[in-house]
Amino acid sequence: MHGPLRWSSKWWPGAILLVVFWVFAAWTSTEPLEGDLAARSNAAVKDAVLDKKRVTVAGRDVTFAAEAFSSDGRRGAIVAVETVPGVRLVNDETRLVPEAKPFVWSAERDVVRVTLSGSAPLPSVKGQLFEAAKAGLGGVEVSDQMGLARGAPPRFDATALLLLDQIGKLKDGKITLSDDKVSLSGMARELGGREAIAAALKNLPEGFSVAANDIKAPPYVFQAYKDPVASTLTLTGNVPDKNAHTALVAAAERKFFAEKVVDNLKESIGAPGSFTAAVIPALSALSRLSTGTLVVSDREVKLSGDALYDAAAAQIRAGLGKDFPQNWQYKAEIAVKPPSAPVDNTVCQQLFADLLAKARIRFESGKADLSPDSLGLLDRLTETALRCPAANIEIAGHTDSAGEAEQNQALSEKRAQAVADYLVRGGLPANRFTAAGYGSTQPIAANDSDEGKAQNRRIDFVVK
Amino acid sequence: MIMAYVAQFFWGWLVASLLLGFAMGWISVVQRGDGITGAPGRALWALVGVLLGLSIGRIVPGRFGYWLDLGLVMFGLYLAGCVIGSWLRARVLARAAPPA
Repeated sequence: MHGPLRWSSKWWPGAILLVVFWVFAAWTSTEPLEGDLAARSNAAVKDAVLDKKRVTVAGRDVTFAAEAFSSDGRRGAIVAVETVPGVRLVNDETRLVPEAKPFVWSAERDVVRVTLSGSAPLPSVKGQLFEAAKAGLGGVEVSDQMGLARGAPPRFDATALLLLDQIGKLKDGKITLSDDKVSLSGMARELGGREAIAAALKNLPEGFSVAANDIKAPPYVFQAYKDPVASTLTLTGNVPDKNAHTALVAAAERKFFAEKVVDNLKESIGAPGSFTAAVIPALSALSRLSTGTLVVSDREVKLSGDALYDAAAAQIRAGLGKDFPQNWQYKAEIAVKPPSAPVDNTVCQQLFADLLAKARIRFESGKADLSPDSLGLLDRLTETALRCPAANIEIAGHTDSAGEAEQNQALSEKRAQAVADYLVRGGLPANRFTAAGYGSTQPIAANDSDEGKAQNRRIDFVVK
Repeated sequence: MIMAYVAQFFWGWLVASLLLGFAMGWISVVQRGDGITGAPGRALWALVGVLLGLSIGRIVPGRFGYWLDLGLVMFGLYLAGCVIGSWLRARVLARAAPPA
């Protein structure tokens, strides 16, 4: 051998010391190197769209495990790790996220929370849906049980976001997106919610369609409560529109002459057909009760309370008359208020006068037919007559001066008789009543104004 | 490039290996005896060759692979140190004792 290599056989003893160096070098450098490589590998794939990323380093070899959402994404991530300086080998433990077929995503709402489940195509979409649910539902708890899968239809995220908007309109229920078919079930939170959801579904992105929409509307409820202690009639719940609202409140004010009408009604769509036609007779029946509650739920009318006397209870139980719509149901739970103590004739006269001072008995215009608006007053008059069994009562009809005297005379007699008949139907003996008509001969106000004429058109009760 | 990156974790040991080699080369020129020659010497070189093959082939995985590479790099620098040391010592001796 030539040159320095001549002495190479004598170099070996130093290798013993070299081995010692080597042990120390390995000992001190391995962990820092591994830590640094792990940090740099993680940084290299930080922005890659991957799920369940895991980087482990042994020496200079990186084991990289992850779930990728496309073949390109998977390859790109591997290359990114391979090109990290210092990495010797990459053990590829990546795989593609499984494909879901059909691709199902759902949002379910119950009393306390909204649960998102099924599959989302990407972690970012999953996060976006979760955040959108939290933001859109106010304080409702949102539970994220979504997994990740490939195979979502195009425009999945826009569709899911639109459906999430709808879950806010449900009281409870479930919206499922299976491939490109949307199914909905449950109960709308508010009246009109079902219609609003149906309208929103018209804006589904292209390619998506509604397979089943079984959203139910909440019952359409109207309530009236007559409180004899506070002397109020409280109206709550829904009315179809402004006209119906005005009409119902006006009817209530006519029928409940002694009570203050508290109007807590809300106008909302979704009322069943013939709503006003069903509610007005029901309010008439309620006006006849001493205390009572009227609950109208969809097409069902429930009336409960205490009638003033037996015959009235029987009449109210029997039905709401010919104006009540055919396809509606009526249920009455009517008891009878305990009779009040009898009174003498003087008190009796006073009670009649008090009642008739608060309201007048109304008739159909130009006719002797009692108006349903006066049923409450007539029942109170009947109740009073029942309290004075000894009294003979003259029911006196009066008219204003408009029209011919004979016609007025005849009308006042017929009207007085109609009132007497009502009292007799209430269970009073007919011989206690005398129906008399006085036409316009006994005015109590001047007939030169509408106001005065209205005061003169009256029925008086005179105890004899 | 990669080497430069990896070397930052153990460059001190590399320098130490080089210096150790230089020292060993320096003294080997004047050392008496034959050193390891013949069959044992060839076996050692063969062992180095095998280890080099394992390293280049990236056959040894994980930490052992890294330690193997580290050892071979240190050994390489050690040899380089030996060559430089022996060559310099031989030159120094040649000047100090000119041919008679």
